[in-house]
Amino acid sequence: MKTPLLYQLEKSKLDLVLGRWNQTIPVYVPSGKGKDISLLPMVDFPRTEAYINLTLPVKEMMFEQKEALFRWDRDAGGVKVENLSNQHAGERILYGVRACDTYGVGYTDHFYLKEFEDTNYASRRDKVFIVAVNCLKAGPHCFCTSVGTGVFSTTGHDLALTELEGFYLVESATAKGQQLIEAAADFFVPVSDEFAGDVSPGTLLAMKEQLRQKVADSFPLKMDLTNLHEDMARTFNADFWLDEANACIGCTGCTNVCPTCTCFNVVEENRDKDHGMRVRYWDSCQSDHFTRNAEFHNPRNALSRTRYRVYDKLKYIEERFGYKGCSGCGRCTDVCPTYISIIDIIHSIQKEAKENPEPPAIHQITAMRHEIFDREINVRNGLFTPDVATITKIELETPEIKRIYVKYDDPALHKNFKLNGQFFQITVFGEGEVPISIPFGPEESDEFDFCFKNVGTVSNILYNLKVGDKVGLRGPYGRPFPYEPLKGRNLVFIGSGVAMAPLRTILVQVVDNLQDFGKVVIMASALQYDKVIYKDELKLWSELEGVEVHYALKDPTDQVKAHQGYINDLLPDLDLDWSNTTALVCASPKRIKEVSKDLLALGIKPTDILTTLETHMRCGAGKCGHCKVGSHYMCVDGPVFTYEEMMALPPEY
Amino acid sequence: MTNTIEEIGDADLIFVIGSNTTEQHPLVATRIFEALDKGAKLYVADPRRIRLTDFAHGYAPIEPGTNLAMINAMIHVIIEEGLQDQKFIDERTNSYDIMKASVADCTPEWAEPITKVPAETIRDFARTYATSDKAMILYTMGVTQHVTATRSICALANLAMLTGHVGRPSTGINPLRGQNNVQGSGDMATLPDYLPGYQRPEWPTTWERFSKAWGDFSCLRGKVMSEMFDLIDEGKMKAMYIVGENPVLSDPDQNHTIHALKKLPFLVVQDLFLTETAEYADIVLPASSWLEKDGTYTNTERRVQLIRKVIEPVGNSKPDWIILNELMQRMGLDVDYKSTSEIMDEINLLVPTYAGITHERIQEVGIQWPCPDKNHPGTPILHVGQFRRQGGKGLFTINNFEREGERTSEEFPFIMTTGRVTHQYHTGTMTRKVWTLHREYPHGFVEINVKDAEALGIKEHQMVRVTSARGSITAMAAITDRINEKTIFMPFHFAESPVNRLTGQHLDPLIKIPELKVTAVRIEVEK
Repeated sequence: MKTPLLYQLEKSKLDLVLGRWNQTIPVYVPSGKGKDISLLPMVDFPRTEAYINLTLPVKEMMFEQKEALFRWDRDAGGVKVENLSNQHAGERILYGVRACDTYGVGYTDHFYLKEFEDTNYASRRDKVFIVAVNCLKAGPHCFCTSVGTGVFSTTGHDLALTELEGFYLVESATAKGQQLIEAAADFFVPVSDEFAGDVSPGTLLAMKEQLRQKVADSFPLKMDLTNLHEDMARTFNADFWLDEANACIGCTGCTNVCPTCTCFNVVEENRDKDHGMRVRYWDSCQSDHFTRNAEFHNPRNALSRTRYRVYDKLKYIEERFGYKGCSGCGRCTDVCPTYISIIDIIHSIQKEAKENPEPPAIHQITAMRHEIFDREINVRNGLFTPDVATITKIELETPEIKRIYVKYDDPALHKNFKLNGQFFQITVFGEGEVPISIPFGPEESDEFDFCFKNVGTVSNILYNLKVGDKVGLRGPYGRPFPYEPLKGRNLVFIGSGVAMAPLRTILVQVVDNLQDFGKVVIMASALQYDKVIYKDELKLWSELEGVEVHYALKDPTDQVKAHQGYINDLLPDLDLDWSNTTALVCASPKRIKEVSKDLLALGIKPTDILTTLETHMRCGAGKCGHCKVGSHYMCVDGPVFTYEEMMALPPEY
Repeated sequence: MTNTIEEIGDADLIFVIGSNTTEQHPLVATRIFEALDKGAKLYVADPRRIRLTDFAHGYAPIEPGTNLAMINAMIHVIIEEGLQDQKFIDERTNSYDIMKASVADCTPEWAEPITKVPAETIRDFARTYATSDKAMILYTMGVTQHVTATRSICALANLAMLTGHVGRPSTGINPLRGQNNVQGSGDMATLPDYLPGYQRPEWPTTWERFSKAWGDFSCLRGKVMSEMFDLIDEGKMKAMYIVGENPVLSDPDQNHTIHALKKLPFLVVQDLFLTETAEYADIVLPASSWLEKDGTYTNTERRVQLIRKVIEPVGNSKPDWIILNELMQRMGLDVDYKSTSEIMDEINLLVPTYAGITHERIQEVGIQWPCPDKNHPGTPILHVGQFRRQGGKGLFTINNFEREGERTSEEFPFIMTTGRVTHQYHTGTMTRKVWTLHREYPHGFVEINVKDAEALGIKEHQMVRVTSARGSITAMAAITDRINEKTIFMPFHFAESPVNRLTGQHLDPLIKIPELKVTAVRIEVEK
């Protein structure tokens, strides 16, 4: 942030300023009493100054509890979609926001607007002006000074007001701040060296700093968090987590009041079978089933979900985004009906790390990394609105796996398509969305094909769609398998059942350019040969020079020559220079680990095993939070990981 | 509740029987945790190792249906060991000796084979309860939905009076109500044998009071719900008007309920959504939700609290009081209530315990009845100094335990007990429409002990069939070591696994509450 522009505002003129602003843009002011303080339109509600903080963080003005994403309407001509991310209240000036919440906005701006831009957040954020009023008093659970986000606002505000003697020192930090100053220019007295009388900017800033120090000193709660991350690495399995988990009733109050909680769920709200809306609601990692996948697999239990929230706030967010994940507002402690306190937990962590430290958990010593890339997405209507496509062909790959072919209704989307991801989000209108791996290569085509099993609510319905039915596509998302680094190496592709599909995207490129690679081994496993996908292609590939195809089946028949048992048994007999081999393994996390263990024993390096981890992804773009494991979003940072990276994730996938 | 929720936090001992407090009353449970933090002891009796047991100092894995035996044995121990509060008994109660004689044989050794609770555990419960200064009893449907419901509660009253744990802060007998306003609707006489304020129609004072407001009226003793479906079946009951209740899922013996509803000549259902029961209705009256109406709710601690309309009624729905007002008018009655506050004015006149509770007084904080006049602050604790009975003395009662109601057999060797989960409410008419609650508990399940599951070859998440003498349903197995062996638990929220197709018609003889907590069943893997 550049050096703020300074102004003075007489305290008695404040209401005049708010009134002036309100003539053109609705001003929201703190209103209510006690601990029940809301930001409400000043035209209808009296402003109060008697408050420590707002009951809910200002986040709710930019990321609303419920927001419409898009609507869809089906008629004889097909399906039309309309992006609804701009449906909101319009411009608003939010007055009286505290430093912990402006810091939260600083973080949510970074979170929602970078990487893939969240269209909903962007459209609301653009219209919001934030006027911070710096705190002069701390509440019982305030600890912004300990985490370093306060006590005075440092980011996220357009204007920041500090009450000095009879006047406010006003700092304008943005163009929007300047717009507000100009709208009431007659009340704001600029402070600059030129016009300095008795007070110079330096004096004023010194007065402010003195006051800041005084307020900071008055905080009842002071914690030294310098070594917190190290302490957390040594207390991941500490006993006190079980006590906390036992106390938690999963009411999700803590995440609802958190200025840095960003998770949401997407929900279909249908008017009838031909008309509906996809909306998003705030969601909470403190619900037991937030992370549940299809077929009951839930990587977190009561203990790990309780612990996850604390690690996310105090560690993971900072590791991934470079912002504090906890702004020290203390609201989660205020609202918890069972007295779970992040402050007490910090004390427990520090005490336990001192008295009873574990060896640092490997997944907790990852070096700090703030890699945020702006990413492109091939959709026309913003991040969350799919483009309509038509099913052109359906093939039964196995008795329970289908291969569907789809074509965008707008051919330009195929023309401009770039294969820079690992999966698509496929919408069944009115039912929901499901992430499905990309099995096709980058060659230009006017059609996509996907292979999937009917295991979940949405995939069950997708499974029963017919040729001519419409679906929605968003994608591609996710970090794909690398291609260039594989050149010159032996490659072993290991795919179990439908998990051969995510490997195919790279496989088709490799078999077309075999001269660039060493030996290529493809290993397909399944219960029976019937359950192997891409049977015909596997046969064709097996006839190519330099390609071997092996099958490992539980119940082999004479349909194909196959090993009876696991893939693992076949590995030692492959005549490969393992130090120059990359293995691409796709299976359940449990099988990935079993296969990788044997590969490592043969001499392959953990960085040369590539795998994909498919967890409960909802948005595909690193926003909804469902697939987050430790500080990693599976959908953005993965789903492709090396085995080394995979083992450095907390065991919650 | 004889006492208030807040007082739980200051108790020395909390005896929880038949209440899964953390799941069903999570905020009440926070008061238990508060008390534990201050050093209180927690004693829990429940057939399931509910979460509270993780924090309990004493735990009784009681067999469903045997609460009364355990309570009587506790009383026996207290008297045997001379731990009773003789001063309290002498000064404030009647009939102690008769009660004492009635439990003479109820030794813990007698209770052990009945309740499956070790005799020593019963002694520990009794001693700790008797010797703690501030001891509170909390209970819910685990005590009431039995054929011994009334007697068990009377026995709990014996226990509390015996030890002087009544009429003081952080003591008493405290039923935690399962619904926001079940206390209020009871107070306003959604009971067959009372007029509002628990006033018997046959009392002369009642007639005098109500005829002043209502003119000449007659009032016959009504029937309880569990009797009504039989009366329909017998052709004696011709019409039914159901408000905010879904008996197809919530009443025992679903097949019988549906059979009766089909036979019923005329059915009106008034509810927020089209319920399973409304499917059988001739007329459905769409009612408004709590967000769309004004009025009061009376909570579990007898606190009358104001609610305010936030949004206008959706569609053509109307608040219940307006529907009733219009109905009365169309039936030719001379009534015209303009607001819920006007109705409250009438309640002030007719119900002595509500006499001083006006909307004006409860704008900020509700008032606990009894509140006899407009200057009275309300009554947080009942029975202080004297009991609210004629003569002011507490009455000890005789509550003999006998094996009654449903029993297991060779054909039906398991006891099924029913209940709720945190994220669903009753028959799910509201909560199952909310995605976030639906996600947590999308469908019914059968909690079964690990050993039983192993013996029956049942695997986690497998569909199992549960069959009783009345019917048969399927649900998914949830295998756990937190339930007694030979006991299974099922929630009753789910229409696809309608537990009340299995439950029976055994009733408490006095108040006719069905024995929903004990059903003999067999369980097998669904083919």
